[in-house]
Amino acid sequence: MENSTYKVYEDEIQLLEEEIKLLAEKYDDVKQESTFYSNEEILTSIKLFQREFQGESKGQECPSDLKAQLESLEREISFLMKFTGIQFTSHSKKTLEKNENRTVQKHRLSGNCRSLPFQLEFQLLETRNKENVSAVITDLSIVMESGEYSDLSKFVSSTEEHGNLLLFFRSLSSYAEWYEHRRCTFLHFKAKYPDIVALPEGQLGDYIILRNPKLSGFELMIVWKIHIDEEGRTTPVLDLLTKVPEQVLEQKMGPIENAPTCFRSMLLLFGIETTIENLIKVTGLEK
Amino acid sequence: MEERKAYSQDGVLAHLEMLEAQAHELALKQEEKEQQEEKLAGLKARVQELRARRDELRAKLELQQKRLLENGGAETHPEQPSARAVLEWKIKSVKALLQLFYLTGISGKLTKRGVCFCISTAYEGTYLESYYLDVLTKPEVQIQRHSVPIFIPLEQIAKKYLQTDIRRFLSVLSDHLNAYAARRYQADQLQERFSDRLEGTLQRNSLCNLLVFHYNVPSDGRSFLFTARLLYADPCCSLPTEAIVSCTPDAPAALAEVAAAHSDAFRRVALHKAFDSFSKAEETQDEALISPPGSPQ
Repeated sequence: MENSTYKVYEDEIQLLEEEIKLLAEKYDDVKQESTFYSNEEILTSIKLFQREFQGESKGQECPSDLKAQLESLEREISFLMKFTGIQFTSHSKKTLEKNENRTVQKHRLSGNCRSLPFQLEFQLLETRNKENVSAVITDLSIVMESGEYSDLSKFVSSTEEHGNLLLFFRSLSSYAEWYEHRRCTFLHFKAKYPDIVALPEGQLGDYIILRNPKLSGFELMIVWKIHIDEEGRTTPVLDLLTKVPEQVLEQKMGPIENAPTCFRSMLLLFGIETTIENLIKVTGLEK
Repeated sequence: MEERKAYSQDGVLAHLEMLEAQAHELALKQEEKEQQEEKLAGLKARVQELRARRDELRAKLELQQKRLLENGGAETHPEQPSARAVLEWKIKSVKALLQLFYLTGISGKLTKRGVCFCISTAYEGTYLESYYLDVLTKPEVQIQRHSVPIFIPLEQIAKKYLQTDIRRFLSVLSDHLNAYAARRYQADQLQERFSDRLEGTLQRNSLCNLLVFHYNVPSDGRSFLFTARLLYADPCCSLPTEAIVSCTPDAPAALAEVAAAHSDAFRRVALHKAFDSFSKAEETQDEALISPPGSPQ
């Protein structure tokens, strides 16, 4: 009989201890999540901190420890961002729900993948069971400055619909690599053959124009699109378009009609750079 | 009569002993009672203490919420924050961002002799298992330890890319691992969510790129057994390259069309989604039978 009275109190004590732990965590979480210090404030604090504790330790955490901890963490994240090409420029989160086995947080994350900027918002549900933690993304919203990346918009809406955050990052990395590669290739040829190569839409456009300065009216347009399917697979798709004056067309229909097919075969045999270079050389020839 | 007996010599001693024993027992009981009361009092006090602390925290939180609402959701610093507080905030902030990195698919930690990479896998919004590779960078790039399952061609991929382009290596490995995780997830979902339609066990190999299973298909009030054999020839793909669906020989000829439709579905959409669509199609079929279109509702 006595034991059951004890049990009632002991149970309540346990419940209260758990509640207190959660309340304290919530208070800290809200404090952390609603505060923001700029980089200047942080640098000033580091200097202040070192000055305050010059020569004193007072049994508290040694000042160099906090600074060293921060530096080590920043080194880690800097390495990761450099290695993966995914740079996060801002992050804010809000804990919506938290108990012993479930945490729901709302995240806002902006950054860029190589040169492509993105803004994300999503809810992350983490469930803890005996063995591991499982994570589920819901309410994913992706914003990319579209217009320039029209190839991407279909892919982006599909990943948003399925909450496919991981696929988004993996595919965006691959797309960004091709995007960079295309930009560098265009720039390279523009620099090497400034008279023949024109970039009407600049280095970020998806086509270049080749023309022989001595032969007017004759143009080759190489269109290089980066196709990304719904599964996130990236493939470059190149095409050749010809612009030929009417008289030439009447005389040399054959080779001009075949040009796009030849172009595609060349791509398969020699790769993109060599093919483009060959075309440039051909365009530059005096005919 | 018995009382007179007690007044003999032995009786007195015995009586005294008995009284002593009784007194001792009473003392013990008294002590026990006091201990119990002490313990109870202690527990009560603890409960009071905890309740007070809990109420204090609740009030603190309420105040915090009120201040936040007044300031539009951002905490303005009421007192000048200490340098320590600012640093601690920044540390927590960077830690949180580091923890999120696994969502991108490739994350890691610097180690003394290299990097320990972590490849995350996911199916749509659900993150699945993560795989680790402990990579040393000196004297040359090599994998010291890893948790990649043996049926993933890690050595082949490493041979091709590890020395020349480690990013490519991780990316290709991630493709293999994610495709495997997605195939496994689909098979698991089929077993979990459509167990009532499956007959017998779903047979699969460790790489989950060959699945054989039997399932029921209702038609005209009867149920027919279909057999499906799915082959995923591309290790980086989570959809089958080949889907052979057959029905039992006694099935009506019309079902051959259904089998063909199922085979097509398996090749186009995820396994569990294909089954979702079958169920829906069968439901509408049933509804059409009960109330055919065009009839008054």
